[in-house]
Amino acid sequence: MTEEILLDVRALSVRFGMPRKSLLGRRPMLHAVRDVSFSLRSGRTLGLVGESGSGKTTAAMAAIRLVAAQAGSVLFDGLDLLKLDAEAMRRCRRHLQVIFQDPYSSLNPRERVGAIVREPLDLMMPDSSRPDRESRVSELFGQVGLRPDQMALFPHQFSGGQRQRVSIARALATKPKLIVCDEPVSALDVAIQAQILNLLRRLQDDCGLSYLFISHDLGVVQFICDDIAVMYLGQIVEFADRSTLFSRPRHPYTSALLSAAPSLARRKSAGYVRRGAVKGDPPSPLNVPAGCAFASRCPRVQPKCLEDRPVLRTSAQGSVACHYPLD
Amino acid sequence: MTEPLLSIRDLKVEFNTRYGSVTALNGIDLDLHADKTLGIVGESGCGKSITALATMGLIPDPPGHIAEGRIVFDGEDITRADARRLRKLRGADISMIFQEPMTSLNPVFAVGDQIAEAIMLHQSTGRAAADRMAVELLNTVGIPDPEQRAQSYPHQLSGGMRQRVMIAIAISCRPRILIADEPTTALDVTVQAQIFDLMRDIQQQSGVAIMLITHDMGAIAEMADQVAVMYAGQIVESGTADAILDNPLHPYTRGLIGCIPVIGKQAERNGRMPQLAEIPGIVPPLHLLGQGCAFADRCPLAFDRCRAESPILKGDTHRVACFATGVQRA
Repeated sequence: MTEEILLDVRALSVRFGMPRKSLLGRRPMLHAVRDVSFSLRSGRTLGLVGESGSGKTTAAMAAIRLVAAQAGSVLFDGLDLLKLDAEAMRRCRRHLQVIFQDPYSSLNPRERVGAIVREPLDLMMPDSSRPDRESRVSELFGQVGLRPDQMALFPHQFSGGQRQRVSIARALATKPKLIVCDEPVSALDVAIQAQILNLLRRLQDDCGLSYLFISHDLGVVQFICDDIAVMYLGQIVEFADRSTLFSRPRHPYTSALLSAAPSLARRKSAGYVRRGAVKGDPPSPLNVPAGCAFASRCPRVQPKCLEDRPVLRTSAQGSVACHYPLD
Repeated sequence: MTEPLLSIRDLKVEFNTRYGSVTALNGIDLDLHADKTLGIVGESGCGKSITALATMGLIPDPPGHIAEGRIVFDGEDITRADARRLRKLRGADISMIFQEPMTSLNPVFAVGDQIAEAIMLHQSTGRAAADRMAVELLNTVGIPDPEQRAQSYPHQLSGGMRQRVMIAIAISCRPRILIADEPTTALDVTVQAQIFDLMRDIQQQSGVAIMLITHDMGAIAEMADQVAVMYAGQIVESGTADAILDNPLHPYTRGLIGCIPVIGKQAERNGRMPQLAEIPGIVPPLHLLGQGCAFADRCPLAFDRCRAESPILKGDTHRVACFATGVQRA
């Protein structure tokens, strides 16, 4: 296994301007991603985990320049993506693909699925001949477990799981190096989820893909990710490899997520009572608290947490942004 | 065991569709006991929600209707109860929490008013007393500043708070049965945990019987005493939560448990998680169900008999409808 770094994101920040409250008022800024750094090793999967609104999708989309970043750098295969001009970025896009969450809205309903999968090839490889592209599409259909005779059908003729396979085939078409998987299985039934997760992992082995995998489901993350970044209110609060994160979480938020996630081992019959549950909802990203963002919900909060914002500190067990991490 | 609070026997629900009459529920037997939680689990399209709607007398007619069977609530057959009787039952004795708290609350009324409305419909209380009770209920379901929050509109609340409001409405008349149809699917995990904890607290205090509809085996483990696994409008396996989770007999149940990546379930092998079990294919459309077991086409154990006749639920406390596992155990 190579340890070469494919994607290196440094100090990435994304802000969105919100509508003015009054005509001359200042435009409120929503800090969706604040000073986020992570790196993805070639052939591996990095998970971005967090609740809705934690900035995980925005961070990933900003890393591949589908959302404009205000600050930071993104090194992809030695190129700083944020500094490329439009044409160079367009050429680079063949190596960066996305699988979206909703297989219903991410496929054009008026196009045949064969054409949907062929489109990236038409755009990125115009030099190849049409029959070559057609045969590549047919090969892709085989790879993702669809039949080549289904190429002439429309998206509505497929089930959710099959549509997600079409999405995957489209993402694979240009032989990318990196695929951003944005909650690719959360819209699917559990039985279909397993089929798609197994497929994604098999394709990773076959094609040497690297995944940036966004999910809120820790079970899914544990299955597919090698390294995991836990996000809360636009920041990474903990970063560790899978076995460390799941066996010894150090940030109280990570620990709360683990205790909240469903598990077959927690039985009502055995009188299970949850420990370390968090109260309430995350604060608004429009009004980020001065201290630690998690302080308002943290069961271990101390006075220092309310004033002083913790920074991500790296140790042998990974990185954690907490003044009083768990041991 | 004591007399069940709700007992469903041989329930059959049919819908008229463009494919002709389709059987959405085919001979369902369920018992719900006070102070206990019954989990109903299965993929989408298995008839979980139809079971809940039938219990509430909410099957849209037309196109649907209850073709056969009985629903008995506390000794009273409510299968053919008239609209007036059902209206008295719903919200008072049997209430329901839906999946999407945004669409099940009225956006143009303050949440306090919506709770008070339910109270005034079923109890002879005046407006002022109902308002006071609404605030108390918001406090019970763990909403901070209940006086202020009662004046809020649904869009001003987070998803978790809205679901708490839904629960407040559902428990406002001290129901004896609470039906929760995927109550946490739209919520984040930490909020899901809060809602589950709240539901368990309410059950401990009031002894309400809960019917929890979910596709999540983790939720079943944490919440349920009894479990019914549904597939294509039938119950394929039922028993205590421990029996179903530790010793699943039906291949569909085994598949459902095997295919979920649950934390702490599997040990790591060579630095990565083992392959997930897969159930091939998808739930068949109900109008295409032929004779034989509905699961036969996706089943790893299917043999000739499975395609020829339909298995019935057999067993004492742990019941399963399967020829293949029956053979193995006999």
